[in-house]
Formats: sequence, C-alpha cells, structure tokens
Amino acid sequence: MAFVQVLPRRLASWITAEPDWDAVYAEQLPRVLNFFRYRLPHAADAEDLTARTFEKAWRARHRYRRDLAGFSTWLLTIARHVAIDYLRARQRYEPLDAAAAVASPGRTPEQRAVHSSDADRLAGLLATLEPRQRELIAMKYGADMTNRAIAQATGLSETNVGTILHRAVETLRGRW
Amino acid sequence: MSDDRWLHALRTDPSPEFKAQLRGQLRPQDTAADAHRDWPRRTLIAAVVMILIAVLTSVPAVRASVVQFVSLLRVVNVVGVPVNSSHLDRLQAEDLQINALIGEHVQVLEDPGAPVDVSSLADAAVAAGTTLATPQWLPDRTQVLETAVVGERAVRITANSQRLQQVVDALGINDLRVPSGLDGQVVDVRVPPVVMIRYDHQNGRRTRLFQARTPQVMLPDNIDLPALGEIGLRILGLPPAEARQFAEAIDWHTTLIVPVPPNATSFQQVDINGHRGVLIEHQPRNQSPTVTIVWSTPERVFALVSIQGVAEALAMATSVR
Repeated sequence: MAFVQVLPRRLASWITAEPDWDAVYAEQLPRVLNFFRYRLPHAADAEDLTARTFEKAWRARHRYRRDLAGFSTWLLTIARHVAIDYLRARQRYEPLDAAAAVASPGRTPEQRAVHSSDADRLAGLLATLEPRQRELIAMKYGADMTNRAIAQATGLSETNVGTILHRAVETLRGRW
Repeated sequence: MSDDRWLHALRTDPSPEFKAQLRGQLRPQDTAADAHRDWPRRTLIAAVVMILIAVLTSVPAVRASVVQFVSLLRVVNVVGVPVNSSHLDRLQAEDLQINALIGEHVQVLEDPGAPVDVSSLADAAVAAGTTLATPQWLPDRTQVLETAVVGERAVRITANSQRLQQVVDALGINDLRVPSGLDGQVVDVRVPPVVMIRYDHQNGRRTRLFQARTPQVMLPDNIDLPALGEIGLRILGLPPAEARQFAEAIDWHTTLIVPVPPNATSFQQVDINGHRGVLIEHQPRNQSPTVTIVWSTPERVFALVSIQGVAEALAMATSVR
C-alpha cells in the first residue's frame, strides 16, 4: 500500500529503536545452536547450520517485520528452513551415534560423563521420533520456544502443537 | 517441570571459540549490510504506525497542519501523546484493517523511491537541497557510519468521513461525530527530502539523526481542525476530557503530535536550544533501552534515535547546529 511507504514509515522510523545486535546475538545464539543440536546428530553440523542461520538473518535483518513475529520466532523460522534445506539435501537423517561429540565445556569430567550419557540416550531417542515430532521437540526443548511461538513459526495451530509435543514427550518418556 | 529435566540433556552453551568465530564472520557483514540497508522498516511500534496511518488519512489534521490553502506548515511545538495499544486491538477485533480502509484514499503524487546512500554530508546536503545541521558534540570515538537521503514525496489524501466514522465507532467513541462536510475534501501533503546520518560510537551503540525541512500541508480552510484533532487524540487513546481540553488549547497550525509508543517507559518535554521537544525512552523486546528525541525549529524537524543513553543523546541533540 503506497501510503504506508510514505509518511507513516518515515515518521515511524523517527521513533524506531536501534537494535542492540550484540545483545540479540548473545541471547539468541544458544537457542539456535540448541535447536540444531536437537534437530541434527552432530555438534559440528549444529554449529555449521547455526552460523548459516545467523549469516542469513544478519543479511536480511532490515526485512524483519516486528509486527508479524517476535525476533526470536523470526530467527528460529530461518533456522527451521536452514534445517529443512540441509536435511533435504542429505536425503536422510544421520545415524545418531555422535552424541559423544556434544562436548560440554565448563563441566567437570564427572559431570560431562553423566551429561554425555544422558545426551547419548536422548539423542538416540530423538532419532526414533517422526520428523515433525522431532522438529517440535527441537523448538520446544532446544530453542526454548513457547507453544504459541512454535505455532507461529510452523503454521500449526497452538492446540496441534501441544498435542504433537505431548505425544512426542510421552513416547520419549516411555523409552527413557 | 522438574521431571522434564532429562529433555534438556542435549542443551549446552556455545563454546567461546564458536561464539568468537561466528561473531568474527558476522562483523564484516554487519558493516556491509548497514551500508546497504534500506530505510529502517521495523515496525516495532506497529500500533503507533497503524494509528498514524489512520490519523494521517482519515484525520489529516491530527498531524499538525495549516488551515489555509497553500500555506506552509510551521512546526513550532512538538507534543507527545501516549498511544493506547488496546485501541488497535479493538480495531483488529472489529476486523477493520487499516490498510484496506485507507488505501483507496491516498494517491502518491511524487515517489522518490528508495533512500540513496551518499558518501558525504556535503553530498547529502546537495541531494536534500538544503544545508545540514549536525551535532557539534559527539561521544569520544564516534564516527559517521552512513548517510542517506530519501527524496521529496507528495501524497494527496481524499477524506472519507464514513471511514473515519467506522474507526470512531469501532473504538466505542460514542460522544463524537465526524464533522459534516469533510467527505471528499482533499489534502495535499508534501514532505521535503529527509536526511539520515548514522553515527557509530564504536562500542556497539549507534545513533541516528533524521532531519527534514518542515513538511507542507495544504487543506481547505473550512475544515474544523479542533474537532478533527479531538477525534484524532481520542483515536490515539486520550481520555475524553483530556482530549477535549488538549484539542481546544493546542494550536493545530504549529504543533506536531508525536505518538508515544505503548512500550515507552517514560516521556517528557525537553528544551532543545529554546525549542520544545519530546524525549521518549522505550525498550522494545530484544532491544536495548532506546532514547528518541523529536524537536523542531521553524524551518526543520529533527529526530534523534539512540541507544547511547539519555544524557549523551540529549547532549548530541542540543549541540545540533
């Protein structure tokens, strides 16, 4: 609509905030990385795709529409598409034998052993989920998104998101 | 939930090496992207924008204007008015899509296209056809990161009293009626080129200074500006008594209304070299505390948007010459 691009936007820009991209980066990086850790088997792939996601977002950040989605939802939507492209290119999921690669800096060797063990188990179980379930688990527990944000990012209804997540968690719990 | 703790077993913090490496990758792109970025489009104050659109089209007089044909708008005062975001919600609940309501009533007479990056302030002044005012004081190590100019734009708005009444009704404003005789009235708005200078403070903080010659608004002299102004203020969310008092007291010929976004943490009137302005502090989600100062001189309108902090933003604004 032409007029939106005339005066209001200009006026709006006068009272638009300057984003603190360093703060955004610090806040969102762990969420995106963990989304990929839940979505993919290898930590190295997760870092790679995280970097790809941020590069895409960085280049396109002026196109971000706050009125359509929160920033983290927008960023995770990009991450989701990056994952889809990646998985499509590979045509298959990697065997999930690489949980040991999820090094956890800052933990003691004992803690790391316990964590690694749980991570191994969880990674293995995630591989048994249906792709849609796994994606939603990655968004919920990897990226720490709310059901509403997941619904917005995936186009599913919030109720549907809740149902899929519930079933997925029950499946995982039963096998844990 | 505690029994879901095992579901977080795969989570970990990014390693410092990865953080540093990625940040290093992004930083050059940061500068490059900034240099080519479009005029800021983020609508973090969507409610304000939407209401502004409504106001500027259905109630052209709410944005300070003149009452005589071919008169030049002289913004002398800048006044902040808090926006009630629930009004936008209510409009949406009524399925009143503002864009759809107003789109057919606005004709772009002159479209300058996208903002153009210029390599120097001198080039910006040439492109804008005016001299530029710049801050004479800047925080240490501050540099100009980007200068851009968007050309003159002109639009013609044809008032539609029915549309305006729809908005008024949807908001439950029952005590006001759209003045008769408004329908079909034509308002021409001409906005001179706007120059944007972006400053980098070398600490991750940036400040943008916008400036433009005073917009020119032409409208029929039989429009009841206080009445329309009151409606506009009510649309923005002012209580009835306050809107009435404000609309009667204000000189609509010389006052620029600045909607204060719902996420504002505070706003206050400030004096910028003898000119009244508005200072708004707000902190949008995922963003740093932001200071916006809007002020005007008889010839120009300025806005300074900064995350550098109130004191330094104010110091920059008051040093603009």
